[in-house]
Order: sequence, then C-alpha cells, then structure tokens
Amino acid sequence: MYSYIARRLVFGALTVIGVSIMVFVIMRILPGDPLVALFGPEGYAKLTDNERAHYMAELGLSDPLWVQYLAWVKDIANGNFGRSFFRSESVADMILRRGPLTAEIALLSVMLSWIVGIPVAIISALRPNTIADSVARFASILFLAVPGFWVGMLIVLALLFWFGYRAPLTGASLFSDPKANLELVVGPAVVLGLGQAAYIARMGRSSLLEVIREDYVRTARAKGLNSKLVIAVHALPNALLPVITLSGVLLGLVLAGSIPVERAFATPGLGYAMFTAVSERDVFVMQNLVFLYAAVFVVLNILVDLTIAFLDPRIRLR
Amino acid sequence: MTATMPSDRVLPAPPSRLRMIGRGVRSFFRRAPLSAFWGVVVALIVGMAIAAPAIAPYQPLKSDFRSMQKPPDEKHWFGTDQIGRDTLSRVIYGSRASLTVALGAVLFGTTVGALWGLACGYFGGRFDMLSQRLIEFLQSFPDLILAMAIAMALGGGMTTVIVAIAITRIPFGGRVIRSVVLSLKELQYVEAARGLGASHWRLMFRHILPQCVAPYMILATTHLGVAIIIEASLGFLGVGIPPPSPTWGNMLSDALNAGLVPPWWLVLFPGLAITITVLAFNLLGDGIRDLLDPRLRGSV
Repeated sequence: MYSYIARRLVFGALTVIGVSIMVFVIMRILPGDPLVALFGPEGYAKLTDNERAHYMAELGLSDPLWVQYLAWVKDIANGNFGRSFFRSESVADMILRRGPLTAEIALLSVMLSWIVGIPVAIISALRPNTIADSVARFASILFLAVPGFWVGMLIVLALLFWFGYRAPLTGASLFSDPKANLELVVGPAVVLGLGQAAYIARMGRSSLLEVIREDYVRTARAKGLNSKLVIAVHALPNALLPVITLSGVLLGLVLAGSIPVERAFATPGLGYAMFTAVSERDVFVMQNLVFLYAAVFVVLNILVDLTIAFLDPRIRLR
Repeated sequence: MTATMPSDRVLPAPPSRLRMIGRGVRSFFRRAPLSAFWGVVVALIVGMAIAAPAIAPYQPLKSDFRSMQKPPDEKHWFGTDQIGRDTLSRVIYGSRASLTVALGAVLFGTTVGALWGLACGYFGGRFDMLSQRLIEFLQSFPDLILAMAIAMALGGGMTTVIVAIAITRIPFGGRVIRSVVLSLKELQYVEAARGLGASHWRLMFRHILPQCVAPYMILATTHLGVAIIIEASLGFLGVGIPPPSPTWGNMLSDALNAGLVPPWWLVLFPGLAITITVLAFNLLGDGIRDLLDPRLRGSV
C-alpha cells in the first residue's frame, strides 16, 4: 500500500508540473497577444511600436519563454500570485479573502449531493422499474440537462418576487457573521449539490444493482440476515466505492460550475473573481487562478484515490 | 414451352438506399419510441435553426425603441429586452449559435481524439505512454475552466469557442477509442491481415477504424449536450461568441447586466431553450447508445 501511495504522490506532483506548463502554454504562447487582451484591439492599435516594446519589457514578456516560465513558477512557490491590472488588491490576498466562501460552497454541495443522491439511488436500485424508480431516473436526467447558473438566476428571481428576499451582496466570514455567511453560501451550494446528486444517484443505482447480484449478498440473505442489514452492511459499502471516485471527478464540476453559479447569485467568492478576471481579460490573474483551480482539482483527486486505497482492502492489503 | 426461363422472372429490385433509411427510422420508432420522440424534438430544433429567418417574427438585432423591456404580450410572445429586441426571435436565432458550436466542437474534438486514440492503441510503446500523460494533464482541468482559458487566450469568436470546447472533448475520444483499438488489434482477422502483409496504414484505416464507428457515434452524441452547456456558460461569462450575436448564454448574461433584478422573461425563455435542447440531445444519445451497443443498456 505504501508503494501505491508513493506512486500516486509522485504522479500527482508530475501532473501539477505538467498542468503548470499547460497553463503557461495556453495563456502565453497560443496566438493572441497579451497586450491586445489588456488594451483591447482598439487600444492596441493606438500604441506605437516603442510603447508596445516598453510594456512588453515592463511585464517581463520580452524574456525568453523558459525564463518567463521559471520566474512564474518561482513566484508561485513563494506564494506570490502577482496582482491584477485593474485592482489594487494582490491576487494572493484576493484568494485568501474570497477562497473560503467558494470552499464552503464546494464542501456543502458535495455533502448535499450525497445526502440527496444516495437515498435516491438506494430506493431506485431496490425497486427497479417501479414508479419511484422512474421518477428518480427522470429527475436525474432532467438535472443533468439544466444549466446550474440558470436555476440560480431563477431562484434569485423567485425569492425576490415572492418573498422580497435577496442574499447579502457583500462577503461575510463564517466566524464573524455566520448567518450572513450561510445566506450567501446556501443558494449556490443547493444548485451545485443537486446537479451532482443527479450523477451520484445514477452511478449509485447501477453500482448497487450490480453488487446486489453478487454471491456474497445472496449468501448473507440466505443465512437469514435481515434484508435491510444486508443492504446497509454488506452491499452498500462496496457499492459506494465507485461513487466516491465519481464524487472526486465531480469536484471538477463544482469548481468550474461555481464560476457561472456565483455570478448568477452575485456571490463574492473566488468563482466571481474568476468571472471578473475573464471578462476584463486580466491575463495574469487568469493564469494564476486557472493554475490554482487545476492544482486544487489534482490534489483533491489524489486525496480521493488515497481514501479509496484505504477503504478498499484489495488495494490496502496489497 | 410454357415454363418461363429463369431470366424472365422479375427479381425484386434491391431496396433503395432511401427506403433502407426509412426502414431504419421506422424500426427505431418501434423499438425505442421515447428516444424517437426526442429525436423528433432534435429535428425540430435543428429545423428551427436552419429556418430561423423564416420563423422569427422580428430581426434578432433590431431594436424597437417604442417597446423596450415589455413583458410578453400578443405582439412579442416572449417579451422584449432593455433595448427593445424581440426575445422570441433572439431565442430562435440563438439555436443557430448553440447547434453550430456544439456540432463543430464535438465532431472536431471527438475526431481528433479518436484518431489520436487509434494511433496510441495501435502503436503503443513510448508514444502511447507520452500521449496518456498528456491526456491526463488535459483532464486535470475542469472542462469549463480549460475552455474559458483557451477561449480567452485566443480572443472571442465562433471558431475560437468551437476550438476551445473541442479541446476539452479530446481526452474522452482518446481514452475510449484507444481501449477499443487495444482489444481489436489482437483479433484474428487483424492478425490475418497483418500476416498477408498489410501496411500499418491499411491495418489502421481499413481494418480497425471501421470497427470504431459505433463507439465514436456513441461518444459524439453523448457529448453534444455537454458542449451546449459549456457554450452557454462561456457566453454567460462573457468569453463566448461576442455580443450582439444572439446566443442563449449571451442573452442570460445581458439579462444580468441590465440591473440587479432582471425581468423574468429575459431569464426564463433562453434557459428553457438550453434545457430542452440538452435534454433532447441527451435522451436521443441514450437511445442511439442502446441501439448500437445493447450491452450498455440500462447502465449509467
């Protein structure tokens, strides 16, 4: 098992390095001049050649690419994420201020997806092709098709229309103002959580259906165990392993999905900052945030893999 | 002699291609009526996109300053936006952008992925190993974030959006087709062809590739819905096809830009269009998958 963990960690580190190169390639090397992105096509056309060269040198963009890349990696290793062209706050401060809100949304939505998805999966799998199963399957197909940010906009509108309620627009920390914080987080978490719950319910259903047919489950039932106990103690733990893996993959859906959803709810989290950066064409903020999101996604998936390794005796005892 | 010569007997004409397609469609309706229903919905949406100029009651870009931000009435069924553009016409025209991007991105991405997967599975070795690492790196990005970054770096436009979404689809095609090829290339008929001295090129494209058509079709149809949602999200975040082009994502974004409280009709109708289209594509995709690969029926 230790060799498995070591291998996974090494691969994870390599992946993060690969991801950083890829982000760099996308943001710096792909056709598309960063100055055009900053000044807009018209502003760029007005610059003289000298001014262009001056700005490029000032931004460190006229160095050879590998020098630029190493400088960027060094900055990140020092916790220096640069600053925006349009705002005074450094990106590192912004991440510290806005990150917790998005992390809360992600955590809550994952919890919610399990609380909703697993019971639905169990009901569906134990009574396949009944009305309850059909309703659950249709609901999950529907939730897979609905864009989360649109549901978010509808929720905001409906609350305002019928109850005159609007979540606070300024950030609030969990510790200083838990009530306002909860009001901010609940909406996006529900939308993202239900979106994931649809995947979890589908996967849980098919995985449980498979496990129930296994010999050891039949044996457990044949020796006279209570059938609820058989499901809960014998079948469910094994059926949940693929669901845990799926939940790790779905974290990508949460991280990325929170960007439009936070915009829909006007939640002052990191996703909203990403939206601002992308709509202002703020290349360097974007570069750092994209790397941060991808790195977080990789690390979380390593954690999921290690959890699976710990839970699954086939890997643990190897 | 009364017996007719065999050559006089009129043989039934071989069924024309059109009739065969007709028969296929009929059997699809009989075997999977629900999927066929969603197929009809897809056909209607595609028809709406093609015939947009004929169906749309107004010009999608034309402002009518006498009726700005009007709720739905008999003149404007879906209401008008802040500068008096007809929402119904914009929703109808929006289907063009969505479908073009989704089809373009999925065809481009899945095809590149499939060819890459074919090469990986066939040649194996170091090339395969390197490719798998690259695909892993690509998959380390959540889809939407990768598409956002690429779309932003390349600058706005329809081609950009298609390329950005296509790149997020490459790993799926690569992975699936590679595993199919790995099992195919061990089969006896491939070995026989190799024994007869067929070239790599001939083995890959004449003998192995035709067997990959079914998984390719399944992949392509199941990813159309995702592509539509990513396109709408990009538009909503302001890195899609630039305004004033009517796309569903742009319309939702415009609704939010109008003020803190967007009028409900500007939110409801474009989102409904996205949902119905994605639902139709997903369910048609499920039907096609069941038809082409009965082993998968009922699983995820």
